[in-house]
Amino acid sequence: MLGSYVTGTLPRPKELIETTRAYDRKRVSKEEFERAFIEATIKIIEAQTSAGVSYITDGMLKWQDLLRPFTEKLEGVKIGALARWFNNNTFYRKPIVIGEILRKKGITVEMANMECLPRNVPWKAVLPAPYTLTKLSENSFYKGETELLFRYAEILREEIKNLAENDFKYVQLSDPALVYNPFKDPVSKDTLVDVNNALETAVKGVTVRVCLQTFFGDFTQILPEALDFPVGDFGIDLYETSLEKLKEYTFDKGVALGLIDARSSLLEDEKELATVAKELIESIYPSKTYDVFICPNCDLEFLPWERAKEKIRVIAKVAKNLQNEWS
Amino acid sequence: MNKLFPTQEIGSLAKPAWRIKGYRGESLSKEEIAEAVNWGKRLGIENLEALVKILKKNERTPIDRRSLLQWSAKFVIRFFEAAGLDVVFDGEQWRSEMYEHVIRNVEGFEFLGYVKSFDYRYFNKAACVDKPKYVKSFYVEEFIFTKENAKKMAKVPFTGPYTLVDWTFNEYYERKAGGKIKDFKQRKTVARREFIFDLIKEVIRPEISRLIDAGAKWIQIDEPAATTNPSTEEMELFVDAFNETVRGFNCTFSLHNCYSNYKILAKYASQLRNCSQLALEFANRDSRQAGIGETRIGYKELKFFEDYGFRGKYGLGVVDVHTDFVEPAELIRDRILNAVSIVDDPSRICASTDCGLRTRTWEISFAKLKNMVLGSELARKESS
Repeated sequence: MLGSYVTGTLPRPKELIETTRAYDRKRVSKEEFERAFIEATIKIIEAQTSAGVSYITDGMLKWQDLLRPFTEKLEGVKIGALARWFNNNTFYRKPIVIGEILRKKGITVEMANMECLPRNVPWKAVLPAPYTLTKLSENSFYKGETELLFRYAEILREEIKNLAENDFKYVQLSDPALVYNPFKDPVSKDTLVDVNNALETAVKGVTVRVCLQTFFGDFTQILPEALDFPVGDFGIDLYETSLEKLKEYTFDKGVALGLIDARSSLLEDEKELATVAKELIESIYPSKTYDVFICPNCDLEFLPWERAKEKIRVIAKVAKNLQNEWS
Repeated sequence: MNKLFPTQEIGSLAKPAWRIKGYRGESLSKEEIAEAVNWGKRLGIENLEALVKILKKNERTPIDRRSLLQWSAKFVIRFFEAAGLDVVFDGEQWRSEMYEHVIRNVEGFEFLGYVKSFDYRYFNKAACVDKPKYVKSFYVEEFIFTKENAKKMAKVPFTGPYTLVDWTFNEYYERKAGGKIKDFKQRKTVARREFIFDLIKEVIRPEISRLIDAGAKWIQIDEPAATTNPSTEEMELFVDAFNETVRGFNCTFSLHNCYSNYKILAKYASQLRNCSQLALEFANRDSRQAGIGETRIGYKELKFFEDYGFRGKYGLGVVDVHTDFVEPAELIRDRILNAVSIVDDPSRICASTDCGLRTRTWEISFAKLKNMVLGSELARKESS
């Protein structure tokens, strides 16, 4: 199949930004603030449906960062200081693990605006991958990183199951920490074994399709080991991954090609993207059997909403054009 | 400056309500006008009646609004001098903000709107849509005013090219490289390099040149984004950008960077040419107990700079700009003396705030700066 979807938090539209700023300064009521989120969520869903993406998300407008719902709602975790979000001019709050991590109720489901999601397009949810959650946490409780990794993996399994029970059909595990590697240190084999096992724990008995979305780094540095990870699809940031190196591998799982640069406001050329996608698909799927999603390389939240909206149209269009060409 | 531990602020000071609303042309409350009068008297500002006359107007002419920039700049210069600082500026009263001020005054940029910084904080981000073009100076007028009004040495804070580029979408150069380079990553890298060096050549150096012609003796390059991308390629780009910015000018240059990864910056600091001072934020990382040695946890990273061979001066952040806690003079003294014990040369330490004080009230800022001056004096006594 050839589809498209977004890969994480979408930007808050202008009106919502204004309301949240006013709310922060105690100038609007809680009701007004909540209403602004719902209105913006409806707008963002509408943009995805009208573009024609294959799976739909609620845009995660309330997520202050990828980890925040977990940082705030898991027992045993407290909220820490601001830290830089990889190599971006944005910041997240560090989760500090101070006790046994417990999940008392569904976190992602509670955050999702399910009442706004349409019934005629399958739903997608986004969660932090166990490795990224672990690497970005400050661990003051578990004996080592591996123990924390597996505890997070168990928590995420409960989350994924809960999402499946609530009709979500696709779950993305965002794993920037696995590939973000500014000093180009080789990724250790032991790490990859741990990640594999943690993912095994996270998806055990899970019925939805799961994608491991990597971004801010070169996907090929975790190859070929990653190809055995127990997930259905791999998300690849094509603005950080060497295209030539990627073509040296063959895939029997799906890929989400991060062909749109969410960290650049320049609108991509659809024809060029189609050409790049075609060349890649032909190289990595010699069997000609493929599952491909055209998507942004990372969360579109780095852009102002209007520009992000145009980029959503581009991903859907590229996917449709390729589908028409090949069907 | 022969004096040991001279004192400086980094750049910005909060804009008073009368400056913000007055400049926008809004009417002011009695309290807001009284604030101007009270501070004016406290700072010994002359001819306050003329200011009050403008502030009381319901409608202000462009000349009135312009003069409010000058009034608030004058207030801040006196403010810094009254606190006893050795190096002063105007608290960036003429600038809307360190990024926007430059971008709005250069051609080739378009603001696209607000993007998230964190939580409910956002910043207005521009895109470079054409080759940057220098059309008018953006710091010179402000500098001349400061020079004419300051009794102390003036230092010009100057937003650096690496930060301007890092905080801007790069449409023009990415489009340009698009036709030539197939690999997306390589394309972005080439486009970024070209953007930064064009900006330096077309905009940054012409402005520095005009500042020097106008009499600027010390320009502080502000690069908060310096270690955002800690990879070797990016850090080398940052160093190259700084060196190209200052190349060949007869002027003192320094670098200010804060809330960053100093392990990374330290590695590259000694490669910065003509960088007489590194103004760094440390107080925010430090404990509040007096003492030298282990207590001074916030200053550990100063040693990295020494170990990697930086031999210029340090604008040592001894005042935390993110808290209303007024550092006692003894704490300031100990922070300075602790740094002296690491650097082993008192003449290389200048007492500084971590960053600009713009998020603090004038009352708090004044108390903090006065104590910084007092603490430096205490340290001087101990060192002489």
